[in-house]
Amino acid sequence: MLLFLVLCPIIAALLIVFGAPARLTALVAAIANLAVTLFVLARFDQSATGFQFASSLLVSSDWQIHLAFGVDGLSLLMLLLATLVTVAAIWFSDKIDNYERAFYACLLFISAGAIGAFASTDLFFFYAFHELALIPTFLLIGIWGTGNRVRAAWKITIYLTLGSFVLLIGLILLYQSFPPPERSFDIAKLQQAAAVHALAAPDQRHIYLLLLIGFGVLISLFPFHSWAPEAYASAPAPAAMLHAGVLKKFGLYGLLRLAIPMLPEGAHYWMYLLAGLLLGNIIYIGLVTIAQEKLDWMLGYSSVMHMGYIFLGIASANVLGTTGAAALIFAHGLSVALLFAIAGQIRNRTGTLAFEELGGLAKVMPFAGLAFGFAAFAAVGLPGFANFSSEIMIFFGAIRNGWSMERFHMFQIATVLALWGVVISTVYMLRAYRSTFMGTMNDRWAKLADLGSDLKIPIALLVAGLIWFGFAPQTLVQMVMPTFRTSFTANK
Amino acid sequence: MITLGHYLVVSGILFTIGFAGVMVRRNIIIILMALELMLNAANLSLVAFSRFHVDPSGAPNYNAQVFVFFIITVAAAEVAVGLAIVVALFRLRQTTHVEDITTLKF
Amino acid sequence: MILLLPLGSAAVITLFTRRWKNLSALISVTAVIGSFICSCFVFMRTDISAAEFTWIDIRGVFNVPIAFILDDLSRLMLLIVSGVGSLIHIYSLGYMRDDPGKSRYFAALSLFMFAMLGIVLANNFVMMFIFWELVGFTSYVLIGHWFERDSAAEAAKKAFLTTRIGDFGFMIGILMVWMACGAVVFDDVVAHFSKITSNPGYLTIAAILIFCGAVGKSAQFPLHVWLPDAMEGPTPVSALIHAATMVAAGVYLLVRVAFLIQASQTALLTIAWIGTITALLGALIATQQSDIKRILAYSTISQLGYMVMAVGLASNEAAMFHLFTHAFFKALLFLAAGSVIVALHHEQNIWKMGGLSSKLKITFATFAVGALALIGCPPFSGFFSKDAILALAFQRNMPIFVIGLTTAFLTAFYVSRQVLVVFLGKPRSDPARTAHESPPVMIIPLIILAFFAFTAGFEAVAQNFLIVPHEKEAGAIVPALAIVALLAGAGVAFMFYRNREHEPLHMELFRRLFYFDEFYAWLIKHTQEFLARVAAFLDRAIIDGGAVRGTSGAAFGLGSLLRLFQVGNVQAYAFLFGLGIVALIYFVIFR
Repeated sequence: MLLFLVLCPIIAALLIVFGAPARLTALVAAIANLAVTLFVLARFDQSATGFQFASSLLVSSDWQIHLAFGVDGLSLLMLLLATLVTVAAIWFSDKIDNYERAFYACLLFISAGAIGAFASTDLFFFYAFHELALIPTFLLIGIWGTGNRVRAAWKITIYLTLGSFVLLIGLILLYQSFPPPERSFDIAKLQQAAAVHALAAPDQRHIYLLLLIGFGVLISLFPFHSWAPEAYASAPAPAAMLHAGVLKKFGLYGLLRLAIPMLPEGAHYWMYLLAGLLLGNIIYIGLVTIAQEKLDWMLGYSSVMHMGYIFLGIASANVLGTTGAAALIFAHGLSVALLFAIAGQIRNRTGTLAFEELGGLAKVMPFAGLAFGFAAFAAVGLPGFANFSSEIMIFFGAIRNGWSMERFHMFQIATVLALWGVVISTVYMLRAYRSTFMGTMNDRWAKLADLGSDLKIPIALLVAGLIWFGFAPQTLVQMVMPTFRTSFTANK
Repeated sequence: MITLGHYLVVSGILFTIGFAGVMVRRNIIIILMALELMLNAANLSLVAFSRFHVDPSGAPNYNAQVFVFFIITVAAAEVAVGLAIVVALFRLRQTTHVEDITTLKF
Repeated sequence: MILLLPLGSAAVITLFTRRWKNLSALISVTAVIGSFICSCFVFMRTDISAAEFTWIDIRGVFNVPIAFILDDLSRLMLLIVSGVGSLIHIYSLGYMRDDPGKSRYFAALSLFMFAMLGIVLANNFVMMFIFWELVGFTSYVLIGHWFERDSAAEAAKKAFLTTRIGDFGFMIGILMVWMACGAVVFDDVVAHFSKITSNPGYLTIAAILIFCGAVGKSAQFPLHVWLPDAMEGPTPVSALIHAATMVAAGVYLLVRVAFLIQASQTALLTIAWIGTITALLGALIATQQSDIKRILAYSTISQLGYMVMAVGLASNEAAMFHLFTHAFFKALLFLAAGSVIVALHHEQNIWKMGGLSSKLKITFATFAVGALALIGCPPFSGFFSKDAILALAFQRNMPIFVIGLTTAFLTAFYVSRQVLVVFLGKPRSDPARTAHESPPVMIIPLIILAFFAFTAGFEAVAQNFLIVPHEKEAGAIVPALAIVALLAGAGVAFMFYRNREHEPLHMELFRRLFYFDEFYAWLIKHTQEFLARVAAFLDRAIIDGGAVRGTSGAAFGLGSLLRLFQVGNVQAYAFLFGLGIVALIYFVIFR
């Protein structure tokens, strides 16, 4: 079942390369993936622990590497995110003039990489599938991007490869730190082994730091973030949607899946460092975002900023915070995908995304205004959207960390500052919306076409996801929480 | 008495002259000759070792002399190939000055 | 049910009926009237229990239900909100008749009703916060309804942002309460209250932070700057949001968490003083405004100050009473002003009006009723409620009483000024000369509201709805002083403003709103914008330029350096080769 999910985009990509109609095949493959994911979701048993829908193929008997897949609540959420955003990304792509087939093939490979990484229960393939997605990103940005695209493509690829390298060292050390009889590439077995007897404390600290930096580069943790804005600004909209919405979350998934359950001592040791860095993400990058004058740069920086909140949930080291982090991963992925999609559409029509030049677009593009409004207010954390419910969980979880009534602990201060970040995000998001869609309109834009009505479907998909989990977050909580409950009760 | 040391010193001087020639001279053919000089310096030291390291039965150690034969043969073959390369190079570049052959420069 | 009707209406309009404007309007109005009927029903019967729905539940750690609280307070608010809301919906049918964005307007209006009713019915902090933010969002949409105007777009942004800053404090307060008591549901917090009272400093900070939310939403000093700008929205929006419901949400919150606030004397005092300052500030600024809606906006700020003052003086009853009466007369005033504006083809400057008493008879009559209620003239409702608050102040805090009395004087002054300039005297412009009365759709709500503005103050009437405060020991001195202030204010206004063509008084400080906007703009420019630019510079130059480009530059540099070895000169290679041999010999033999 899950093997199908991973193979489908790859096969579709190959078909496209060999001549199948590009956009149609890609779309069919993406929708098929989404359908399968929903099916898995419907059949998922929320009360069972461990991985469901598991499958496994032996690849190397010397090293005991299996092509193994399985889902639990957290991975299922990630898969849902990946498939939803893939459908939206492919649907939103406009007519490509050059190398159309390669474009869609790249998109599908990125999707396959992400889905493979999320569904994989084998450490080796977990890493390998992510690497699969790096080169297509390079191609997408370098060939079909805008602005300073070649430089952005080089920057992101080399930076992320360096990060992956650090990550690889961390993963190898993690593997080595288990005593030989328990060594295995199977993630479930590793988790159980770590739960039974914890790894040595000094080991945990080093490995956690390596994993944090490695994954952190992939997630654009401050100060390893400078690849993100330029890359997202230069990337074509579907690539930005997939990367910011899905690929970035691979790092967070890795932290949640590997670092937290297996290295609790390490996590505790580096808690303050993480808190400081994530505040850098939220406040410092938030301020930088305010200073931006172009929509695409602003969105790029804002996606970096929101990672800070997810880190806050991870750093909170309790069930509430990490569940909130997982929820925000999903919510942010959807909302940022929609934001980039509309921004890309605007750029296609007007050729510019500078705030000074845009204005009053809601008059000629009301549907775009509505959709962007949904996404913008979701990103800001308006209740009714999933972002709010996840941020609530994060804040409540984070502030609980190390609290006592007499004095104020660093985490409380961090939470307060993170809350101020909400105000900062309101400032820039509202300003962007107002500069782009409201106010007096430049006469140049009087003849713009609105978004096509076929785009209603992907927009509706993304918004529906946001609203569903905004109104009924318990469904998400029930799905994801068991994953964290076990890791926290085992270690506390 | 002429000891092993004297022979080795002479060999060393010859080697150095040859090495300096390789490094300093501009004409490729002269460089090849200097290269030959280095090889023969090694030959000399080998023969010297053969002459002065004597078995308890009084016979010199003939391994080194056999080695010398190998070296002479190889040197001859190498000179043949080297001169052929020089001829090809001359036909291409009309020069035998090694400084003019700089295609590998960055 | 009450909640779902407006929500359903909003959803239906947004998704389906945007083309058919009149249908949208009809759906919205029907929905809200349905809510009102249900509210009346709920009010009558005391045994209704409501459904509960789990929003987030992590067992043992965090539990947020979506559940409803149905006590006297919330029932009363339900009635006010849905009742006044219904009237305003009906009024909007007339006011927005020719507006191209009608569907959007009614969708937002329905969503607003949903959110406001949610606040009133919320039984826990988080749920209230959810609907609180939703109210802020819908008012953003409504204020920015005519978004092509830069001023409207800016005003909407300002409103949302300012209330968000208040919400920031609110959220921290909620977090503090949760951490101490372990619950967000109001009843549960009360049950565990002893945990928090053990640390008075903590309690005070939490209480004041929760008050921040009210400061933002109810436009108290210093977060009051959004309310006057919010007049950019259509007048029914101003009536609904800024007079009757949204701003009252802040007061409702304070009353709801009174158990928390009243446990800390410092918090009470802070609240009382902020309310008082706001009341005075609003009144002072109102005396110099020349836009008919802005006068009312500052008057709202002022009256809200009174209510907050009452909360700070530890009398919820007085605050709710004034909220109750204020809802009626302020909505009435706004709607009547809207009627004037429409009759004069969207003219809002009072110095272009005049002599309308003969042309817009019913509007004038209803406006006068509202004005008299606002001033606190007996036997109108405003008199009773304002009197209750003043009596409270007289008893408990003399400086506040003095300021409150001064504010009453000023209130009489600026309201009379408004009536004199707008309705009496001679018409000052063509639209004023040719005005005629507004259509019945707009007039009937005015009349209904006027009726309530008149009667709601009487004890016999009010008693059915809420607890009427009694301050027995004050005796007759407070009402007497209040009436004196009233007459003095009206008299002075009469003196200055009878039959004038232009504004005779010029007080720059008041006219320019005490330069608050300028101050805030300056503040923002020099802190946030400055920090943003610094951060952007740091990011581009140091992190990106220094670290990242530096690394790549170093890689390039190293490469260039190493490149130098590739000279292409065979002899150089030979030389290096020789060097290598020497080094090797050295290491082998001598190490």
